[in-house]
Amino acid sequence: MTEPHVETPATGPVSKLQAELDSGKFVFTGEIGPAKGTNVEKCLHEAEEYLKHTVTAVNVTDIQTAVMRTGSLSVSHMLTDRGIEPVYQMVTRDRNRLGLQSDLLSAYCLGVRNVLALTGDHVSMGDHPDAKPVYDLDSVGLLEAMSTLERGSDMGSDAKGNPNVLDGVPRFFKGCAVTPCTEEVEPQIIKLEKKVQAGAQFVQTQAVYDPEAFERFMEKIAHIKVPVLVGIVMLKNAGMARYMNSSVPGVFVPESIIQRLVKASKDDKQKVSIDICGELIQKMKHCCQGAHLMTLGWDHCVPAIIQAAGLA
Amino acid sequence: MRDGSLTSKQYAELASPADLMQREWAPCRYHCPVHADVRAYIEHAAAGRFGAAIDTIRDNLPFAAICGRICHHPCEANCRREDVDSALAIREVKRFVAELQGAKGSTVRKAAKQDKAKVAIIGAGPAGMAAALDLAKLGYRPTVFEKFPFAGGIPATAIPKYRLPREVIQIDIDWICAHGVELVTGVEIGKDKSIEQLKAEGFSAVLVAAGLAKSRMLPLPGADHPLVRPVLDFLQEISLTEKSAIGQDVLVIGGGNVAVDAARSALRLGAKRVRMMCLEAEAEMPAWEWERTEAREEGIDFINRRGPVEILVKSGKITGVKARKVTRVFDENKRFNPQYDDGDVTTVECDCVVMAIGQMADLGFARGSNVKADARGRVEFSPVTFQTSDPAVFACGEIVTPPGSAVEACASGQRAVKAIDLFLSGRAIRLSDELPPFIGKIAPAVGEKVRQVPRNKVATADAAGRKSSFEPVDFNYVEAAALCEARRCMGCGGGAEVLVDKCAGCLTCLRVCPFGIPKVADVATIDSALCQACGMCAAECPNNAIVSRSKPARDLATRTAAILKDKPGQVIAYICGQHASAEKWKAITEVPEVNEVYVTSTAGISVNDMLSALVNGASSLLVIACHEGADRYPNAVGRIRARVMQAKSLIQEAGLNGERIKLFELA
Amino acid sequence: MIVAERKPLNEIVQSLAGRKRVLVLGCGGCVAVCCSGGEKQAELLGEQLKLAAQVACKAASGGEEAARGGTAAPGGKVEITVDCITRQCDREFFANMKHDLKDFDVVLSTACGVGVGYMTALYPEKVILPALNTTFYGANVAPGQWQEFCHGCGDCVLAWTGGVCPIARCSKSLINGACGGTNHGKCEVSKDMDCAWYLIYKRLKELGRLEDLRKMRPARQWSKDRGKGVRRLTHEELMQDTEVQK
Repeated sequence: MTEPHVETPATGPVSKLQAELDSGKFVFTGEIGPAKGTNVEKCLHEAEEYLKHTVTAVNVTDIQTAVMRTGSLSVSHMLTDRGIEPVYQMVTRDRNRLGLQSDLLSAYCLGVRNVLALTGDHVSMGDHPDAKPVYDLDSVGLLEAMSTLERGSDMGSDAKGNPNVLDGVPRFFKGCAVTPCTEEVEPQIIKLEKKVQAGAQFVQTQAVYDPEAFERFMEKIAHIKVPVLVGIVMLKNAGMARYMNSSVPGVFVPESIIQRLVKASKDDKQKVSIDICGELIQKMKHCCQGAHLMTLGWDHCVPAIIQAAGLA
Repeated sequence: MRDGSLTSKQYAELASPADLMQREWAPCRYHCPVHADVRAYIEHAAAGRFGAAIDTIRDNLPFAAICGRICHHPCEANCRREDVDSALAIREVKRFVAELQGAKGSTVRKAAKQDKAKVAIIGAGPAGMAAALDLAKLGYRPTVFEKFPFAGGIPATAIPKYRLPREVIQIDIDWICAHGVELVTGVEIGKDKSIEQLKAEGFSAVLVAAGLAKSRMLPLPGADHPLVRPVLDFLQEISLTEKSAIGQDVLVIGGGNVAVDAARSALRLGAKRVRMMCLEAEAEMPAWEWERTEAREEGIDFINRRGPVEILVKSGKITGVKARKVTRVFDENKRFNPQYDDGDVTTVECDCVVMAIGQMADLGFARGSNVKADARGRVEFSPVTFQTSDPAVFACGEIVTPPGSAVEACASGQRAVKAIDLFLSGRAIRLSDELPPFIGKIAPAVGEKVRQVPRNKVATADAAGRKSSFEPVDFNYVEAAALCEARRCMGCGGGAEVLVDKCAGCLTCLRVCPFGIPKVADVATIDSALCQACGMCAAECPNNAIVSRSKPARDLATRTAAILKDKPGQVIAYICGQHASAEKWKAITEVPEVNEVYVTSTAGISVNDMLSALVNGASSLLVIACHEGADRYPNAVGRIRARVMQAKSLIQEAGLNGERIKLFELA
Repeated sequence: MIVAERKPLNEIVQSLAGRKRVLVLGCGGCVAVCCSGGEKQAELLGEQLKLAAQVACKAASGGEEAARGGTAAPGGKVEITVDCITRQCDREFFANMKHDLKDFDVVLSTACGVGVGYMTALYPEKVILPALNTTFYGANVAPGQWQEFCHGCGDCVLAWTGGVCPIARCSKSLINGACGGTNHGKCEVSKDMDCAWYLIYKRLKELGRLEDLRKMRPARQWSKDRGKGVRRLTHEELMQDTEVQK
């Protein structure tokens, strides 16, 4: 068991992720999704097996695509138990500001330091479409809430209007997301600016398959001085690539990549997919500070991707 | 557009929802001298309800059959369809209906009791017979005295048979007499019997409807020659005997319709050449244009702007008519006041002259009575009370009105009856002249959205063939043509009326109107002069704030309920009026027994109407619509399709098979 | 305008279970304008209920459509009467009913929820049932189509969102800009739905006011929306003395 309260220095990096990004090292993060049910062992095992020694931190998704499953806070905490640093993903869809702030304090108590603030897919996309979508705060509001907690108070106030004072103050390494290759990039940049203003310290992007577009995006946000980890999602086959083009907002897979998957034999598919990821990282590493690898169950490929990227 | 708004309270208080039609008349009705409800009877005809059509015609116009042949049809002259393509052939539809139904096919609505005073009518022409009918309907006991051996007046005695066969006249006479009108023919009042004698026989009032029975003559040198024929004598002789003395080269003097009749009759009696000579230029001639055209087709020439001076007779034979040039016919005040150029005199060759310059009253009926003539030799008469110098003797028709057509004489007779009724009831004679306003011309922007349908032409006998006999020159419609023509009627004045207190200003009417007519400020206004009466807005208005003047609210539901009351479980078919009596739709349904309910267009059938039919016991409902583009209203099919879909899903929701409502779109 | 839509008949029929004398009461206000609950729709519902009752009777006697009688039967004979008043959200209009409430054991209102709720308050001895689902505040964007434009949140933001309401029209009611679900100007929830923040961005850019988008927007005061329960509006100048005293 971890101690209920992990002491963190008042200044300096709060996590390994922050420290490594501060050091200028090209950083990898991975990602796991908790199970629907109490059997979390499988994902924890994979994290230990394939990610623990290859990536700096592992994102734990928060009821991803609004499909109900075990929560990201508990799994994040279990990762810390196994010596793996989690990035606790937190969406604003399911909890109001009371729940969110409370969970942030809980996370801190449980030793979780990296938090990625997200809006979260709409409930209508998931398996409980009749659920009430909360969205009391948006992602900017959630970052503000974290920053407020770090200042020692919460979002509320007493009857006289004075901020409530916290008994014990957390510190987080606060992250946010951005979609760099969307057709209309200006509103994304404006929102990213607001997120950073609200306290975001690192960025993990939506999947990128178009290095040139990514580079153009990075030039446009040159004024935003926070590390960016480019999102790399493994393409398992051409069908998935096409689906992403038609249905996943802000993702564009060039036809050349799709053709490589089409031409690959069944046994070769994974290898081709790994190569594609490796090449993408190679092409983009000069303009970003890390890569966030989303393997969608192919966690065992992570070492190979890093190898293919020439960064092993 | 009619001024003033209608509230739901006012609507509810109407004695009959049909009273809305009185808010504004269609111009055809307004301009009809007897104000026949043209829109209504044409609608019946369009649906193939010919019995209802003839009864509606006869509600106002007893001489339906006669007028179907010879009416000057001011209704058509004022038809608003003229501004879309061409006027509706109202007279031809009326002719078809009247001659199809005959006297037996027209409902006789006798007074419950006919025990009021006896009234004598002098003359069985249109004025006298129309008056007799109305008197009988009011419960009076009218007797018509006619000097000729048959009733009908000028239409029977002077209008040639090629225009008006005797059996057609008889349809109207028989129907009128069936109401308890006694007809005494061959009795000439003033000769066989005096007005005073009639009074002594118990007639409480006498109505003089003797018409203009004498031909006007000119005191020209040579005018006493036997082959200078007074036009009425000439035409009456033909009518009675189909013969009359005539020459080979006939000159008819006069430019009116009677002159044309005389000229065309002369041709039919075998004259080699017939010409008409009149003071007027052709465009000024009083004869209807179509009469002139037909005459010309038959080879009759017009000599215009010539006035006769002398009839030249040599060796007992007419050789010609000396005639001078006319420099003007009417003066600045448009009064008849001809002037001549005596330096321009020519001779028009001929061997026979028919004087057709006008008719005049024969006051012989007044012999031995208190009825006096005025200084100009006309019956002393009050146009206000219809009374002559004897208060119990009334007059109507051409004897006291300007010369006109049969329908105008009917109108005069009908008004006289109102006066007589007041007189015999001991009340002051005051007749109202008030009529509802009529709706104006159709705006071009709307007119161009109305589907154009060419007028159905009536077949006419070939001019060469027809001029040698007294057989009719134009033919009746066949049923299909009559239906087709009747369906051209735009139903003017029967359109939408907004109940202002119910209107929520929702704009639904504005959005569904295919003609773009509703305007919505605080509440909707629908200009009756523009409304095409398609019924789409009324069918969709969510607050039932739009009622149709020609179709009372829930009319269709009520009609359907009435059918189903006696035989529930029947199939009901709502059929577009465009398909009236078309057998085609039946072939596709394979439903043996269907109750047909005709509608002007399926555009006006609401979803509520459809559900009501089933609620009221219909086993199923068929909606028979025109196919796309054939309906008289734009997008009617699209609307009805959507409504049928909605109705199907609503009845399915209620647990019924959606197939209980079916839509058929027919070509 | 308040937009509402008809409830499924089955639900209405079930809510009526056991009631014999039903008054279907239309409302000539908003629900008439959106063609869901005016006199015509009230009549239509009346006809539908009569049909459902007929089917139920037949089903009870084993009639032909018994098997189809999926719609729960109200059971036995039901008397359906239809009426409509100008608005059900003002007490005076109830005086215009053509029928007496005493003669009915239930009122099926085709008004919005306001009408149903207010009538319940006015006639506590009566059961007032809703025939509609009240859906949103909207406008008639095209013939036969209504769309939500306002959420009634109590704290209008339209001044700085270029007139496009993110509370009503962003599926997540976000206030600081689009989420990652914005996709070629459409919302992730449906390709038929515009992304409100995309519209706001376009509009503000057009107006040269992107700074309104850049500005940080603090968390919303949802207390003005649902947070404090029933919301009220008072115009003291219009209140009657007794009400002021209360």
